[in-house]
Amino acid sequence: MTGLAVQNLWLIPALPLVAAAIGALTPRTGRSLAAGAAIAAMGVSFLLSCGALVTALAHPAAHAVSNFAWFDLGASAFRLGWLLDPLTAFMCVMVTFVGTLIFIFSLGYMHEDVNAKQFFCFLSLFASAMLGVVVANSLLLLFVSWELVGLASYLLIGFWFHKPEAAAAAKKAFITTRIGDLGLLLGMLWLYDSTGSLLFFDGGNGVLEANTLGALTAHTALGGFALSTVIGLLIFCGAVGKSGQFPLHVWLPDAMEGPTPVSALIHAATMVAAGVFLIARVYPLMSADQALAHTALHALTVVAFIGAITALMGALIAVAQNDIKRVLAFSTVSQLGYMMLAIGVGSWVAAIFHLLTHAFFKALLFLGAGSVIHAAHHEQDIRSLGGLSKKMKVTFATFAIGMMALAGVPFLFSGFWSKEGILHAAHEWDVSHLPLYAGLAAVVLTAFYMTRLVAETFFGKARSHASDHAHESPATMTLPLVILAICAIALGFLGTPAFPWLQAKLLGEAEVHGHSLLEGAGLMMLSIVLVALGLGAGWALYGRKLRQKSTSPDPLAAAFPGVIAFLAARMKFDELYAATVFKLNSAAATFADVLDRFVWDGVIRFLARLGEFAGIVNREADEDGLNAGFDAGSKSLRGTGNAYSRAQTGDAHGYLRVIAIGFVVLVLVVMMGGGR
Amino acid sequence: MSPDYLQLLRALYPEIALVLGALVALGLDLTVARRHTLEERRGMSLWIGTLAIVAAMAHVWLGSRGSVFGGVLMLDKLAVATRFGVLGLALLTLGMVRGARVLRHPAEYVAIILFATIGFTLMAAAQQLLVAFLALELASLSLYVLAGFDKTSPASSEAALKYFLFGGVSAAFLLFGFSLIYGVTGSIELGEIAHQLTVQHLTPLLIVGLVMILVAFGFKAAAAPFQLWAPDVYEGAPPASAALIASASKLAGLVLFTRLLWNGLGATSGSAATATGQPGWLPVLAIISGASMLLGNLGALAQTNVRRLLAYSAISHAGALLLGVIAVGAGSEHRMVWPVFFYAATYGLATVGAFGIVGVVDRANPGGCQRLTDLVGLYRRSPLLAGCLAIFILSLAGIPPLAGFFGKFAVFAAALQLGGISGPAGWLTVLAIAMSAVALYYYLLILKQALVVKPAESVQRIAIPPMTALTILVAAALIVVLGVCPSLVLSRL
Repeated sequence: MTGLAVQNLWLIPALPLVAAAIGALTPRTGRSLAAGAAIAAMGVSFLLSCGALVTALAHPAAHAVSNFAWFDLGASAFRLGWLLDPLTAFMCVMVTFVGTLIFIFSLGYMHEDVNAKQFFCFLSLFASAMLGVVVANSLLLLFVSWELVGLASYLLIGFWFHKPEAAAAAKKAFITTRIGDLGLLLGMLWLYDSTGSLLFFDGGNGVLEANTLGALTAHTALGGFALSTVIGLLIFCGAVGKSGQFPLHVWLPDAMEGPTPVSALIHAATMVAAGVFLIARVYPLMSADQALAHTALHALTVVAFIGAITALMGALIAVAQNDIKRVLAFSTVSQLGYMMLAIGVGSWVAAIFHLLTHAFFKALLFLGAGSVIHAAHHEQDIRSLGGLSKKMKVTFATFAIGMMALAGVPFLFSGFWSKEGILHAAHEWDVSHLPLYAGLAAVVLTAFYMTRLVAETFFGKARSHASDHAHESPATMTLPLVILAICAIALGFLGTPAFPWLQAKLLGEAEVHGHSLLEGAGLMMLSIVLVALGLGAGWALYGRKLRQKSTSPDPLAAAFPGVIAFLAARMKFDELYAATVFKLNSAAATFADVLDRFVWDGVIRFLARLGEFAGIVNREADEDGLNAGFDAGSKSLRGTGNAYSRAQTGDAHGYLRVIAIGFVVLVLVVMMGGGR
Repeated sequence: MSPDYLQLLRALYPEIALVLGALVALGLDLTVARRHTLEERRGMSLWIGTLAIVAAMAHVWLGSRGSVFGGVLMLDKLAVATRFGVLGLALLTLGMVRGARVLRHPAEYVAIILFATIGFTLMAAAQQLLVAFLALELASLSLYVLAGFDKTSPASSEAALKYFLFGGVSAAFLLFGFSLIYGVTGSIELGEIAHQLTVQHLTPLLIVGLVMILVAFGFKAAAAPFQLWAPDVYEGAPPASAALIASASKLAGLVLFTRLLWNGLGATSGSAATATGQPGWLPVLAIISGASMLLGNLGALAQTNVRRLLAYSAISHAGALLLGVIAVGAGSEHRMVWPVFFYAATYGLATVGAFGIVGVVDRANPGGCQRLTDLVGLYRRSPLLAGCLAIFILSLAGIPPLAGFFGKFAVFAAALQLGGISGPAGWLTVLAIAMSAVALYYYLLILKQALVVKPAESVQRIAIPPMTALTILVAAALIVVLGVCPSLVLSRL
């Protein structure tokens, strides 16, 4: 296969966009056309992405770019462009591959929905926007795509908008991420103001290249921070919103109100990955201040701690959730925390490796959950499920593989290797070991809650009518599961410490230098022990004595009622925000309302009156002064005149007189006004 | 330098194509088509006219460049772009004619549109006072006839007569001004005039000449206080004639006078800051520009007639165009002429489109299309017309991402580059931006009637001839494309 040149990289996001347009233009009955276009576009984009990967791997160290002028502003031109390097190429392949599978899965899942064609239109738009984020060589183009991702997620989360919860969740996702995006926008403006460019790579003048970075670190912005630190942190705000990091993680669990393929798309391949990808993309900018000794704070330190907090917090909350999708949602929050942690401790490569493996096994888990929900007639409470392992063999087997990958079961599963890379990087970080401890604690918790999830959902006896009558999903749904399960295992071997092919390619190294597995074996042993501990505890509590009735109490909740209730209420973040941010917001809104109503409105009304008055004067002058005279004149002549004579009344003279008067006045202006 | 007639012939191929088209249309109409219906005769003439204009466009695209016939015509980039622009706008106007009410003598109508277009293409290239005047008069006389073409309507005749009177007086001013300039400099070539003026003082005689030229410019652009003809003419003239008056005529006039003022009279420009600056024609232009923006926008607020409203909108846009002319500035090659060119061209597109739609509605309504309320329920009667009308009107209002926004933005940016807010054109730019906000109000009044207000009873759908539908769609698409990607055009200039 020959590679795809960087000039043609735009095709990858453009094809799904075309599919979205086709979807938008077909009537509601044309669902098979819309779905076919969406799947075909994604499939072709996947092939193109493979071509791009071939090109990128041929020269892994090069950042191939194709820039073009969007529009000219005076002497300077505003330029956009595409970027092709291994990071972009791997992301493209992942997004298109997982996306294609999710699209196929949706065929079965959305079979009964009357708006299915709209669903495929939105899905394509979403995928296109995400691919736009990935291939952009300009922060502005990235931002535009980023916002389109936000829009498409709003449309998809609120797809069942007749449910009030779905509408509220869509709004929440949109507004919460928008708070982060404000930071990103400010960072972008500041960056443009200080460098005059938003291109990432531009033959030495891009914002991620050494010249510009040197200038950015040399300047001090506020309070002793280097300019690059401040801009980096502002950009990080955007990633915090999109990737559901603490404290803006609140939208992500609510996003579960959307159809399950959407959850898979948002939580696995696309939206949440965008934040991690963004920080990995601008890593040179984020890390530019590492060399400075005198700064109060390194941008990456903030990233590391936010990541660590998110990883631990997400895992804790997941323990106490009862909705199958919410458990997975909080596990996503936790895993994204891991990725941010990895970037923060200096290993963006480990973060991207985890991003890629996570994309596959989390898509697998979500689609598996979708398969369960589909079979159990939209029953999502794990306490009411149970006993599905015999009825849904394929779903069970693949879900178990996903669960073991997520829990980090050693050696065979991809999640183990990528998580190990992150822990290893955290171990080597010389600023603090707190993120490492948080990460290790989250390892235990992850293994624990995933064991609980599987035990409650698939074992024991069916605890509700819906779960009793469940049967295996159709092939369009199980086939993607099988493919993803294979990937969830196989992908790990691309990046084991013994043969870190993926890491080497991402870093642009031609040779792959393997390490002995014994290096850092102590840490690996520790994490294997911790995984075993989590699995064992989960099995002891939930597997040994299986739940009999959907109403029987949770053993953990019985032991620590207060803690579990607090975690089940998601640490009361929503309540906290309702009590602080919303209150403040509504107070400010009330103030603005009063100001608007009584102060500005008065001013506006006054100006409007003024304008109205001027308009009336003008009309009077035109119609009553000139036209009325004209009309009056023509009336008096109507008996004799035709249209020609009407125009020969004195009033045409009036019109013409204005020319003469205007001429004289203007001549006087020049003669007098010139100060001669 | 001996005059090279062959070269002149080659340079004038586009004009020749237009003349031939007009004569063929007239001839066939008088001979072959006598027994056919008016509608059929009009269709045939329109096809011939379309072919002629397309041929002229091809000639402009492929034809020669450079100075022609000893510097009488100058086919530089600006001239070629303008010729292409006016031909394109005339082509769109022909497409609109088909959708409008059928008038008597359709072949004459088409032929006169072509004659006016010849005037425009010559105006675009004129480099000498006499040629400029002749081209302007050819165009103007044709437009007078077009304005009065609907002989069944007294309003149309009235419009034509008013337009003619105004045009005659302003032509007199222009010719007087030219002769004074000739008297002062002893030449009618722009280059020679510019050279002479660099060594001369600003005598009162010269000032009078300059202001006289500006009066004619004000008339052509419908700028205050020489705008009084515009509302009556736009109201009374057939919609397609009004479209031509507002679009191609404006673009050609703008380029002619920009060339005249900056290339020929640039040495006497003075400074636009009236209080402190040097005397010259810039302060006068600034006053005309400001007055047009004020009168046009405020006058439009009180309108209930859609055509008069478009006329006032044209007056306000004339103010902004003059601001763009001020921003051109002296200097070689006039790089800064492109913002105002882009503005004028995209304004023309939107106006042709709007008048085209008025024409279609005019034909469909028994009572014509005059009042804003005649547009009520357009979204039910023809979603295509309503959607395109929204694009045209929003572009006129300068809403991104439509072309009108970019034109405005480019002109304002160019004006501010003269020295920022405190610079010579700063106050005008601030006024222009403030007036843009006022303008949004009356533009939305049109859209409210067309898109929001529910029609009283069941309405009849409007049938649109396919050619007109295509023309309207092309104009709307151009506005969107040029707005999203202005560099498609600007990068070629």
